Amino acid sequence: MARLQTFADLIELAREGTRPLDEIFLDEEAAEREVPAERLRQTFLERWAVMKDSVRRGLAGGKSFSGLVGGDAKRVIEFTRGGDIAGGHLVAKAIAYSIAVLEENSRMGVIVAAPTAGAAGMVPGTLLALSEERGIDDAATVRGLVVAGGFGALVAARAELSGAAGGCQAEQGVGAAMAAGGLAFLLGGDSETCVHAAALTLQNTLGLACDPVAGLVEVPCVVRNGFTAMLALAGAQTALAGVRSVIPMDEVVEAMVRIGEAMPRSLKETADGGLAMTPTGCRIRNDLYQIK
Amino acid sequence: MISLLDIVGPVMVGPSSSHTAGACRLSHVALALLEEDPVEARFELHSAFAKTMRGHGTDRALVAGALGMEVDDERIKDALDLARARGIAFTFKPKNMGPEAHPNSVAIHLRGRTRSISILGASIGGGMIEIREVDGFPVSLTARDPCILLFYEDRPGMVMRASEIIGRRGINIASMEVLRRGKGDQAFMRIDLDAPLPHEDVAALRQMPGVHRVHVLDRVAGGAPIT
Repeated sequence: MARLQTFADLIELAREGTRPLDEIFLDEEAAEREVPAERLRQTFLERWAVMKDSVRRGLAGGKSFSGLVGGDAKRVIEFTRGGDIAGGHLVAKAIAYSIAVLEENSRMGVIVAAPTAGAAGMVPGTLLALSEERGIDDAATVRGLVVAGGFGALVAARAELSGAAGGCQAEQGVGAAMAAGGLAFLLGGDSETCVHAAALTLQNTLGLACDPVAGLVEVPCVVRNGFTAMLALAGAQTALAGVRSVIPMDEVVEAMVRIGEAMPRSLKETADGGLAMTPTGCRIRNDLYQIK
Repeated sequence: MISLLDIVGPVMVGPSSSHTAGACRLSHVALALLEEDPVEARFELHSAFAKTMRGHGTDRALVAGALGMEVDDERIKDALDLARARGIAFTFKPKNMGPEAHPNSVAIHLRGRTRSISILGASIGGGMIEIREVDGFPVSLTARDPCILLFYEDRPGMVMRASEIIGRRGINIASMEVLRRGKGDQAFMRIDLDAPLPHEDVAALRQMPGVHRVHVLDRVAGGAPIT
């Protein structure tokens, strides 16, 4: 991938050729791994099937190991069926499906990390909601999934994607940016528009702390996947409308890295600050681990 | 560049790619280096790894890896009971590895019937891992691509003989690292390969005079299972 290191490289590559973004990413990966691009596409189709299945299993409900979360995806989707909703079916489904994946994750069910397990909801949640609402088939949806994966890989080349290193911005922020890029691609955005969708989304998650109650990937992670899914939809919507990120995506990623470095350890997955250290957060932790 | 399949992936059991999947892979690497069934597993956990161990199932995942489970194995949640049933002793304790250590660092000590191994590794996000020490030797290993580790007596010609065995097979060496404790003392070689080395060549490496042990790490932690 000598030629494809940054988002600027990607826009350049897209400009000079006729290949769409998903083909650029698959060709690069195929060359690196010495396997046919079509074989990779097949692997993505298989992963998409696991993703859809994790949404389905998540919607069925059930509590997490700690008993702290579970059933919210089902609540959101059932409320939607009643018809009285704010934001329309696409929005309601994107929220419910993103939460569903994280609920399944909190039960130690099988999910596909995207880019991490704690941020695994937005990519499948938003892409599945869009594909259902617009009647997009799996083969076409997977093209958006490849673009999302490629965007994540470009970020990961410059930033460590973990709450411990960069806070939640480096997990859910990146997951939402990946989803925004995939959504913009499926909605017909050109390569620059897709990159702006990701940049607009990521910059609106900067500074997001990783402060999980009792150290679990449950509160606020599960519901937050539903909320950051909204940012991904907003990123795609605004970029397709012609809104441009003043700060280029590569620089937004650099800003994310520097903010992550500046964050105290207490807000990077250690459960030593933020929501985890509120009176209620402490009580939950103490009850769970029988600390007196 | 990082693989797209590491970003949209791994397919894994929750709840945390760093603390569950990464932890599982780290001890899976230790198991691959031990090359026999463990009878005892000791884990020392640093910082974030120690603080959120139970909530993230890190304890179960570490033991699951030592039992040879992959990250998508639904038995990970039962790993502690499975280990007890097999008579494998395991202990966890927090250890402050200092401000420079990655927050998700763990030292893994596995003991089998005939040998022991110790590694120090970190889970660096999204299920990706890095091994930083093997039996006290500083290394940098991702365990994604085919890799050979040689422990041997420091003497002239070892690098040449090892690379000749690999070169004869037409396999390209992607990168390598050579270290020693002191002149004529125990030495260590890490050889990253573009393709897995056939068994007979590994056997030839093992028969080289002065070689103590040879380990094969072939895509233990993800990498390219696709053919």
